[in-house]
Amino acid sequence: MRQRSLIAITAALAAGALTLTACGSRSGDKGSSGSSGGTTVTIGVDAPLTGDLSAIGLGIKNSVDLAVNTANKQNYVKGVTFKIEALDDQAQPSSGQQNASKLVADNSVLGAVGPLNSSVAQSMQKVFDDAKLVEVSPANTNPALTQGTNWQKTKARPYKSYFRTATTDAIQGPFAAQYVYNTAKKKKVFVIDDKKTYGAGLAATFTEEFKKLGGQIVGTEHINPDTKDFSAVATEVKNSGAEAVYYGGEYPQSGPLSKQIKATGAKIPVVGGDGMYDPTYIKLAGSDSTGDLATSVGAPVDTLDSAKQFVANYKSAGYKEAYAAYGGYSYDSAWAIIEAVKKVVEDNGGKLPSDARAKVTAAVQNVSFDGVTGKVSFDEFGDATNKQLTVYAVQNGAWKPVQSGTYTG
Amino acid sequence: MSGVGPVEPGEGTRPKDAPDREAPPLLVRPRGRLAGRYDRHRRAVLTAAAAAVLLAGGGYLYATRPQMPPPPAPPYPAQVVDMIYLNSGAAPESTPTRAFTFAVALRVQSGPPVTVTRITQPYAGLSVSSAPRPPFRTNAGSTRTIAITMHVTECGKVPEGAGLPFLDVTLRNTRAIQMQSFILGSRYAHDLSEALQAACSNRFR
Repeated sequence: MRQRSLIAITAALAAGALTLTACGSRSGDKGSSGSSGGTTVTIGVDAPLTGDLSAIGLGIKNSVDLAVNTANKQNYVKGVTFKIEALDDQAQPSSGQQNASKLVADNSVLGAVGPLNSSVAQSMQKVFDDAKLVEVSPANTNPALTQGTNWQKTKARPYKSYFRTATTDAIQGPFAAQYVYNTAKKKKVFVIDDKKTYGAGLAATFTEEFKKLGGQIVGTEHINPDTKDFSAVATEVKNSGAEAVYYGGEYPQSGPLSKQIKATGAKIPVVGGDGMYDPTYIKLAGSDSTGDLATSVGAPVDTLDSAKQFVANYKSAGYKEAYAAYGGYSYDSAWAIIEAVKKVVEDNGGKLPSDARAKVTAAVQNVSFDGVTGKVSFDEFGDATNKQLTVYAVQNGAWKPVQSGTYTG
Repeated sequence: MSGVGPVEPGEGTRPKDAPDREAPPLLVRPRGRLAGRYDRHRRAVLTAAAAAVLLAGGGYLYATRPQMPPPPAPPYPAQVVDMIYLNSGAAPESTPTRAFTFAVALRVQSGPPVTVTRITQPYAGLSVSSAPRPPFRTNAGSTRTIAITMHVTECGKVPEGAGLPFLDVTLRNTRAIQMQSFILGSRYAHDLSEALQAACSNRFR
């Protein structure tokens, strides 16, 4: 009896093992054939990953990484695996240009996200455009990049391959001027900039609108962004009788500048643009920065449900650095490229065509999707159609939204 | 077949045949106070225990019942409302001399209805009224044309050439109340500037 049972169990186990072996061999064949047809598409990232502006640059890089990982996890483009190639431009135009050349030379790169600085973008645009490689900046705000240097009179798009998800200083500067003049009731302003493409351009658009409203510019100065001693300018501001300072530039300079202006006894707000909207500014400017103002692109994160999902995913991904001012815009920039790749692959029978770069550039022009920052699409200049702005004020050691606007012109 | 039936049980092997033996006395422990109480209230205790088990089971089933995920919160009103400048129009006859009217279109893209509770503008020397008068409600997918009338209260304070003027609109839906500035673009800026210059020309100063 016992022997009979043993024989039966042994026979059953043997049959089971044979069945499992057979299943295993079939599944292995299928997997190998499937993986051989996959394509890897690289999305380049250019941003300042080291130096004073790395707090923002690393947020850009991580957010693109999150978009790529999300697309891969969802198998969003069948047969395509995305990866990123992140390069450090140190906020220097020459480094940006070298990075652009490097990305162009890599055939797997079908799009790039970046840069942060408008001056860096100027040096990269032509390199990308010559290679028909699409570039989507999450942060450049200088109007000339999309509308040409003569944008105030005649808009003309210089490069078909350049897009941006952030709105421009053509709106940001005037929006700040309106807030300072009408809401904050400051009629005399001292304007300072860092002479760079972004800072000087933003200061100019602010100044023009502020004067039109009836405001008075009581002084102007340019600072050298390589120094941190602004005591001479600070004294000049105090002696000018200004009721506010408008600064065109970024937080590594505006933080110390604000501190040094307050130290002269001039307890007046320093106002800036999106380049100032970072927690690091408050650390650098110190406790006297309460009441300082900055405009930034987009609606406040807590009023965007899509942004909340992004914030939660970013947190759970475990990135060391904050997503910072342009995280959502960077994610959307990367996703615009991913959507374009998807369209090109689907239109070509599931494979990338030989002229994939040109086709992806053309497809980005027509993308339309609900992104982190709202509806994402581009107008005929490559500018974002979603043009929202928010004024933030330093309150209790943090930036708090005080007014939001939507451009619908 | 052997024809041999089962063996009959022998005498004394059936239980009823067994002689009555004196059963050994059961070992009865002295019953405690609780056991005594239990004996007295056994029915009540059992009923209470059954009720407790039923209650716990019901509670567990209720707590672990399959639940529908909560519906997503409606969007913030400022995220679903567009306001577009249409044109400058002829002012109604009742409009005071130093006033002018223009039309904007307000569209609610999605979500619950949005109520406009207030329309203001930020410039000194001007006040604003609208038709329809706030509050008024617009459903998702609908577009409403609003006639905005600007009244010049003090020509010396109005901005004659603002590049990006805007209207401040307070919006309310079931999610939130928000004040949003709608920057209506260069055509609105141009028309507003012309209207202000006309309203404040020397004739009326």
